[in-house]
Amino acid sequence: MGKIKAMTQEWMDAYKAAIEADPEYKEIAKNWEGSVALIVNPDPDKGVPEPVYLFMDYWHGDVGEFVVCDKAKAESAKFVMTGDYARWKQVALKELDSTKALLQGKLKMKGDLPYVVRNIKVVNKVIDILGRVDTLWPDEA
Amino acid sequence: MSEATVDNRAQDVPFSFVIADLLSSNLEQRPEKMRTFSKMWGVVGLNLPDIDAAITMIFAGGRVRIEPGIVGKPDIVITSSSEKIISLNSISIKFGLPYYFDEAGLAVLRQLATGELKIQGMFTHPVLLTRLTKIMSVM
Repeated sequence: MGKIKAMTQEWMDAYKAAIEADPEYKEIAKNWEGSVALIVNPDPDKGVPEPVYLFMDYWHGDVGEFVVCDKAKAESAKFVMTGDYARWKQVALKELDSTKALLQGKLKMKGDLPYVVRNIKVVNKVIDILGRVDTLWPDEA
Repeated sequence: MSEATVDNRAQDVPFSFVIADLLSSNLEQRPEKMRTFSKMWGVVGLNLPDIDAAITMIFAGGRVRIEPGIVGKPDIVITSSSEKIISLNSISIKFGLPYYFDEAGLAVLRQLATGELKIQGMFTHPVLLTRLTKIMSVM
């Protein structure tokens, strides 16, 4: 199977399938409740002309809706993380630690921060899995 | 949590917002942390050399002011990498005291032993350090 274009519905489907297939995810995320949205700020020079909104529903080790969505749906998520395209790509490729990015202000988060810190292993796990999705990034297409 | 309780004057230091948000949320969600917070007097510096950022937290009995950089001579200065500093928030509190004998606590002890985490003032200001750990812990 070839690379999947990043931030498309096909890519979200592949990401969801990778999480479901991970043998450790269910146990690590058994206490996690709530949806997460990623907002990717536009960067026309890198092939991202418009903002991209991604919505992912996680519930006690199960994964629900994983969709490319509109702004309103993204902002309805329990946790909303926003950053530039280049930062998200760095996080996905594990070139930038997500905690470091948050502390540097490269990513911003809305939501219950103590809850996220308490469940930082879940966050690290889903980022780890994201790195396994064979991705074609817009600036590489 | 009113802005007067957590007064962030380090607007140019992005990680000050994370610290202020964590502290404000903890104080809102956990009344016992507010009781500890109201007893805190002293100055704590947080230094993250890997991202070239530092803040100073000035506690004054139920209020804290966050200033950019290391200001004056803090009672405690915590130096760590940005990736590790969050692990300090995962220390459990048992019987009103930080607990270092679970996975998160042992990780912090390991970082202290290897020098990845440095806490100046930990022996001269143990009460302030214990209270800081209690109010910042998310566990």
